[in-house]
Amino acid sequence: MEQASPDLERILQPAPVEPLGHHDAGLETAVGEEAEGVRDDERPGDGTMTENNFWLKKIEISVSEAEKRTGRNAMNMQETYTAYLIETRSVEHIDGQSVLTDSLWRRYSEFELLRNYLLVYYPHIVVPPLPEKRAEFVWHKLSADNMDPDFVERRRIGLENFLLRVASHPILCRDKIFYLFLTQEGNWKETVNETGFQLKADSRLKALNATFRVKNPDKRFTELKHYSDELQSVISHLLRVRARVADRLYGVYKVHGNYGRVFSEWSAIEKEMGDGLQSAGHHMDVYASSIDDILEDEEHYADQLKEYLFYAEALRAVCRKHELMQYDLEMAAQDLASKKQQCEELATGTVRTFSLKGMTTKLFGQETPEQREARIKVLEEQISEGEQQLKSKNLEGREFVKNAWADIERFKEQKNHDLKEALISYAVMQISMCKKGIQVWTNAKECFSKM
Amino acid sequence: MSGGPPKALQSTGPHSLRDLPHPLAGSSSEEAVGGDSTPSPDLLMARSFGDKDLILPNGGTPAGTSSPASSSSLLNRLQLDDDIDGETRDLFVTVDDPKKHVCTMETYITYRITTKSTRVEFDLPEYSVRRRYQDFDWLRNKLEESQPTHLIPPLPEKFVVKGVVDRFSEEFVETRRKALDKFLKRITDHPVLSFNEHFNVFLTAKDLNAYKKQGMALLTRVGESVKHVTGGYKLRSRPLEFAAIGEYLDTFALKLGTIDRIAQRIIKEEIEYLVELREYGPVYSTWSALEGELAEPLEGVSACIGNCSTALEELTDDMTEDFLPVLREYILYSDSMKSVLKKRDQVQAEYEAKLEAVALRREDRPKVPADVEKCQDRMECFNADLKADMERWQNNKRQDFRQLLMGMADKNIQYYEKCLMAWESIIPLLQEKQEAK
Repeated sequence: MEQASPDLERILQPAPVEPLGHHDAGLETAVGEEAEGVRDDERPGDGTMTENNFWLKKIEISVSEAEKRTGRNAMNMQETYTAYLIETRSVEHIDGQSVLTDSLWRRYSEFELLRNYLLVYYPHIVVPPLPEKRAEFVWHKLSADNMDPDFVERRRIGLENFLLRVASHPILCRDKIFYLFLTQEGNWKETVNETGFQLKADSRLKALNATFRVKNPDKRFTELKHYSDELQSVISHLLRVRARVADRLYGVYKVHGNYGRVFSEWSAIEKEMGDGLQSAGHHMDVYASSIDDILEDEEHYADQLKEYLFYAEALRAVCRKHELMQYDLEMAAQDLASKKQQCEELATGTVRTFSLKGMTTKLFGQETPEQREARIKVLEEQISEGEQQLKSKNLEGREFVKNAWADIERFKEQKNHDLKEALISYAVMQISMCKKGIQVWTNAKECFSKM
Repeated sequence: MSGGPPKALQSTGPHSLRDLPHPLAGSSSEEAVGGDSTPSPDLLMARSFGDKDLILPNGGTPAGTSSPASSSSLLNRLQLDDDIDGETRDLFVTVDDPKKHVCTMETYITYRITTKSTRVEFDLPEYSVRRRYQDFDWLRNKLEESQPTHLIPPLPEKFVVKGVVDRFSEEFVETRRKALDKFLKRITDHPVLSFNEHFNVFLTAKDLNAYKKQGMALLTRVGESVKHVTGGYKLRSRPLEFAAIGEYLDTFALKLGTIDRIAQRIIKEEIEYLVELREYGPVYSTWSALEGELAEPLEGVSACIGNCSTALEELTDDMTEDFLPVLREYILYSDSMKSVLKKRDQVQAEYEAKLEAVALRREDRPKVPADVEKCQDRMECFNADLKADMERWQNNKRQDFRQLLMGMADKNIQYYEKCLMAWESIIPLLQEKQEAK
């Protein structure tokens, strides 16, 4: 796949790191066939390793630890934040052993910086999302505190997942800044900022304007935009209700714990019934405490859904970029058309279009033929320039659509696969919960039968 | 007992055989022995204190059987026999077929009472009558009046305070029917109460209202006498065994109350969980409409959650209809038992007071006045009846709770099994296309 636009500075990456999978720490990542087919001119014919090309090398990335740090922020005030340890291992293909090649600490804001950079330089790519900045969709037992250890742990997993997603993307994995993020601790921030990507970012306002004014966006993108909006809406709703469901379920289980105590007290005044009651009470306690693990597992499912909630936003961003480019194109075409018309009018002497020069001419007197000639000349130059620009914008636009759509197809496959897996694991969780329930109540029933 | 020869109690006058207080109806020891007023030897005679069909040889010495202890052990043996051998049961009562009656003044429900019996007290082998709650209430009052020394089973609550419960809803009527059935069966199983006159009329009379209006309470001897015990006496101390019963009942009622509250709380939480589930499932459907390849899996999950919701609703309904009412019944039961205990205290108090009064008077010794002896008899009968009933009650309670709690466990197991089945059945659906790819 070619570069999206000619002016991006991207240095060839030393390694298409081959990442695989997502959630578990330290799993090898393996790229699909896409990475292999990407840059034909880069591909070694004989599989030998060159300095800039480690095709045969596999890399493992893990976010293995999280640590609380204190430091001084931009305003020289003390702040507490969490730093995450990123370890990169290269796996020798032959013997499968992994060697730690890089290890550095990053905080969440640096991940954000990386992502923002990727968004600017790869606008045609559905860029993997970061785990949420603040805990949302929490049910009461979960903490909304960013410093809470459970939240930090889930964030650690989410950050690792992000890195693995980027590393397994056929295009993104070859980005130098990404490579440096994994390997160069000091100075990385400066390096990113030096790319000047912030300046290249489209303003939100510009994008919004384009959305409302664009006349002929590609139909597929319009549909995709609707889809991503609806996807966001439905997943948000789902997560909200799921959190409430979790809350209620928690309540049901925990109240059963009260049986444990009262059965115990009651058994004290009974003769034959005593033992049965007492042991049944114990099972009620087991039942009540089982919910904690069950719901912790379910959070994993919620996280999987959240990733795609945020992915919907990334999809939306690609659509927005298309609208912006299309709008830009339309404006350029419009401008060109208007200039052409002006030129024509000047040449033929008819005034149909409004122009300032025309107005002032009317007010202050006719211009000389020389003046007119000069103006026509200028316009013709502008028209010629404009035509070239329009041509290149058209080309850009078509390239964008082609590349973006390819990535969108890739994304769709990934999404269908991942969400199906998520649903399966959710069903498995439910099955496990049911089996535990049956076990506990069967035990209790047996105790009751001995009363 | 006093040292003197047994004395016959005052006769209640000439009665037909049917009208004689039944020998089992808690009369004193003297009656059971071959006294003047005893009927023919062929008749089944029994010791009082609630014995079942026990044949005593005419003129057999009552001495050994006069103490409550041995009679209750006798009773136990007989109870055991009854439990094992269904053949000795000669009375079967069922409550079913609720029907709504709409009249100008009111609307009410009647239940069909079917009785099958080989007992001589019943003219026909089978009866079928219709009764309404009012009639049950009347019966219970009559039993309490006429058998004050016995524990009368509770009725389901008269009014439902729970707000929005519909008196004529199927669930409410069914719950009530079950409780009324239980009520009659408990009386049927009771060796003394089942022979009660009012009970008989309740089961058999075509026109119960006419009978009610008669107002003639055919009290048993003891019933009559206990009724007249004045409440003014204060008991100094409850005998140990009754104190223990009292304490037991207090704690028991307390624990049951707690369990009732916990059960209600669980049902409430489950209903709230159900409400959320009913919103949760459909969201998957909404999502499914947006998707292509994921449409079927998502729809499958939605349906699955729907099935679990239904299973949960069944669970909460069952618990509300079957579990809570039985708990409440037992709380009512123990309340009424406590008042019987108090009555017993009254009887003992009267006796002790009168005995003291006699001791102080110094005349009449060594002859004990008749009325003091009467008091003593009353007390001893009461004690014996109560103890026997307590033992029976303890056994039944054990069975009832065993069944109740096992039932609760069962319902929960069924709920989880339904859910398990639902989730297991969609796994192949979820995995399907992936293999095909």
